[in-house]
Amino acid sequence: MARAQSFRRFILSTIICIYLVIFAGGLVRVSGAGLGCPDWPKCFGRWIPPTSINQLPPDLDPAQFNITLAWIEYLNRLVGVIVGFLITATAIWSMAKFRQHQRIVFASVAAAVLVAFQGWYGSVVVSSGLHQTIVSAHYFLALLIAGIMIYIYVQAYYLDIENAKTQYPIPKDIRLWSMILFLLAFVQIVLGTQIRGTLERLVELSPLLGDSERLESVGLINHLHLALGLTIAAITFVFGLRVRKSKDSVPPLINFGAACAVILVSTQIILGLIFIVFGLVPQAQLFHLSVASLYLGMLILILSATFIKKEE
Amino acid sequence: MTSTSKHTITIIAIAAVVIILGLTASFVLTEAQGSRGDLEVLGTVPPFELTERSGLSFGSADMRGKINVVDFIFTSCEGPCPVMADNMSSLHKAFAGSSKVQFVSISVDPARDRLSVLQEYARRQGVTDSRWVFLRGEYDTIRWLSESGFKLAADDLPAMHSTKFVLVDDKGQIRGYYSGTEKASVNILKTHIKELVEDMQ
Repeated sequence: MARAQSFRRFILSTIICIYLVIFAGGLVRVSGAGLGCPDWPKCFGRWIPPTSINQLPPDLDPAQFNITLAWIEYLNRLVGVIVGFLITATAIWSMAKFRQHQRIVFASVAAAVLVAFQGWYGSVVVSSGLHQTIVSAHYFLALLIAGIMIYIYVQAYYLDIENAKTQYPIPKDIRLWSMILFLLAFVQIVLGTQIRGTLERLVELSPLLGDSERLESVGLINHLHLALGLTIAAITFVFGLRVRKSKDSVPPLINFGAACAVILVSTQIILGLIFIVFGLVPQAQLFHLSVASLYLGMLILILSATFIKKEE
Repeated sequence: MTSTSKHTITIIAIAAVVIILGLTASFVLTEAQGSRGDLEVLGTVPPFELTERSGLSFGSADMRGKINVVDFIFTSCEGPCPVMADNMSSLHKAFAGSSKVQFVSISVDPARDRLSVLQEYARRQGVTDSRWVFLRGEYDTIRWLSESGFKLAADDLPAMHSTKFVLVDDKGQIRGYYSGTEKASVNILKTHIKELVEDMQ
């Protein structure tokens, strides 16, 4: 049967690449390499970033040249371009082979348009001098693109299951709670980007402040982030047990998503503890935001898998 | 292959990917951190003696023991100078909590920039402390200091003065040049000042 299997594999690879780009983007933000290339799309006027300060064009300020930061920033652009091609290929593939499945066609075309916009928006991020709202919008757009691709994956998944609607009488409360968790996780990520932004602004305003003083200045929102994080963790654990209890009335995809969500949320707790004990370790920050992105993706997976289309 | 061993392989593969990503990221982040503190010594500020807006003398000896940001300005300049002054002012504010960081603006127009003019200029920048000094000296001294001391172009002073900010460490060594008119450059200067201050401690 498996008519969408290779299509699904291709989408899965694309999704993995999107998360690698999100990871690379996190690396850019955490290492502060966002302005590693002051121009766009080239880097110091070159398609391959300069390896020596002598290669800089005379009109660019040499103080801004840091080969490490330039390559970190450029890596994000390069993997981003690869993802752009993969999503475009997905859109072409769905128009060619899945024309009758409107959800797949619309979603993949939307993803292709958004990824093109995202590429261009990268130039806005750079020219804004890393304005916090713009940097965060760039990140949320990446999450949205990942979410759409996950949605397409789920649609393709159900193409290969006959009578999915009757085979999986998904309990209503599973949909409700995955929706609640999705919304909470979204709010949590917004809070996280706010904290990140405030910390960065503090570095700019008073560079000599230590980590703990900076965290203290962030204040209320930090406590809110912790409280909401613990709430989400608790609900996720209960949710995981709930899905397990009806594991035969939901498709394996939901079981997989719920198990991953539990693992990811546990990882976040460990990373949170690292922050509390060791301070803002950059490596932990990078994983903290990557795991959060994956967690949101898992909830999109579960949520969209609870909507099974009627057989035609 | 049984499904259990397939699962085990998947889990091992995921763990391997996570570990590789973690190590790569760790390496890259350490490199990025290290690349910032990598400030070569580009020269040494020669001994000089000028007059501060307060009328007291100020010389190279007064720069020792502090991290200094030096620029060349003149108070009636209307081109890039207001932007430079704004950027210098933002640095002055950013390091308000530290007596280890000092800002030094040297006038290239001694004919017009008398001490009273410099005092008024400082007031306009909101400077009420001695962390930011404004210096005046003979035209020839200033030209020599700009060209030979700080290695900055000074062909046609005052109009064609350099717009660079010069970073000078606590031993009187030049550690970097930054565009005084570009925010991105000034932000890099901020991180370099921080590095040098931390090195002092």
